[in-house]
Amino acid sequence: MFKKIFLHALTAAVLAALAGYIYSRIYYFATEVDFSSVLNGARILGFSILFCMLAAIVNYLSLKIFRKRGEIIYNFILSITSFALVMVPISISLPLNVKSPELFPGLGVPMVFFPALAWYTIRPLFSQLLPFSEP
Amino acid sequence: MYPALAVALIVASSFTLLVSQEWKITDNYSIKFDGGDPSGTFSGLKSTINFDPNDLAASKFDATIDVSTINTGNGMKNTHAKSEKWFDVTKYPTIQFTSTSISKAATGYEAKGMLTMHGVQKEVIIPFTFDNNVFKGTLSVNRLDYNVNTAEPNHGASTFKVDIEVPVTK
Repeated sequence: MFKKIFLHALTAAVLAALAGYIYSRIYYFATEVDFSSVLNGARILGFSILFCMLAAIVNYLSLKIFRKRGEIIYNFILSITSFALVMVPISISLPLNVKSPELFPGLGVPMVFFPALAWYTIRPLFSQLLPFSEP
Repeated sequence: MYPALAVALIVASSFTLLVSQEWKITDNYSIKFDGGDPSGTFSGLKSTINFDPNDLAASKFDATIDVSTINTGNGMKNTHAKSEKWFDVTKYPTIQFTSTSISKAATGYEAKGMLTMHGVQKEVIIPFTFDNNVFKGTLSVNRLDYNVNTAEPNHGASTFKVDIEVPVTK
């Protein structure tokens, strides 16, 4: 079972990183403020993989422990965690050579939702293959 | 008569060059404040610097910092710092220092003068050095002395170490 969850997480991480990178480029063209020293393609990919792999472990454990209710509990955990992560780009102090730090939340806040968004987007492709989630 | 007048003018004009030791600040200056949390920089420095190590009595600093250029690295903190609760940039847009005397110290010099911040004026002494056309000074500032958010004395740091580094050219 974990193999399928792992593949789900990996696919979600790649999609989230791609969406994050595209969004960072759009944001740069819109604001002309360069945050690449803080949030570049490698860091977006790293964050997406880290988030999705941790999500995979939580998903596996919740399905293992709570069986049929595991998916519901996991979805709540994923959504609440994503929402809580909003505080990171808002409260983080950037290096002092980075211009216009007040624009950073506009870049970072949407990105914290991308892994969860990607996870839910491709969920139907993987859910039918999970034995614990079947009725 | 005219040769004498010419010589007099030359002497007089050279004297004005000798007494005029005005320095221009370069763009790569830094004004850093460190209170742990928050820490940051100011970037809007305008200054008139008349400094001659051999004539400290005629030397004088007059500096103004644009408070709206504060950068803590965090947009939310920057906004709060400029607000009425803290620096109140709308009412007090600048921090000013005007020296009243400059004297030789054990390690460098000391500039005594009036620091005006948040509408409060206090006498401060800024120890500084001047090497290779770079002024380096440090002072400690307690925001409560200048009535900056006295309602919350424990909100963040109250005492800040300010490091000033100003390269200059003639």
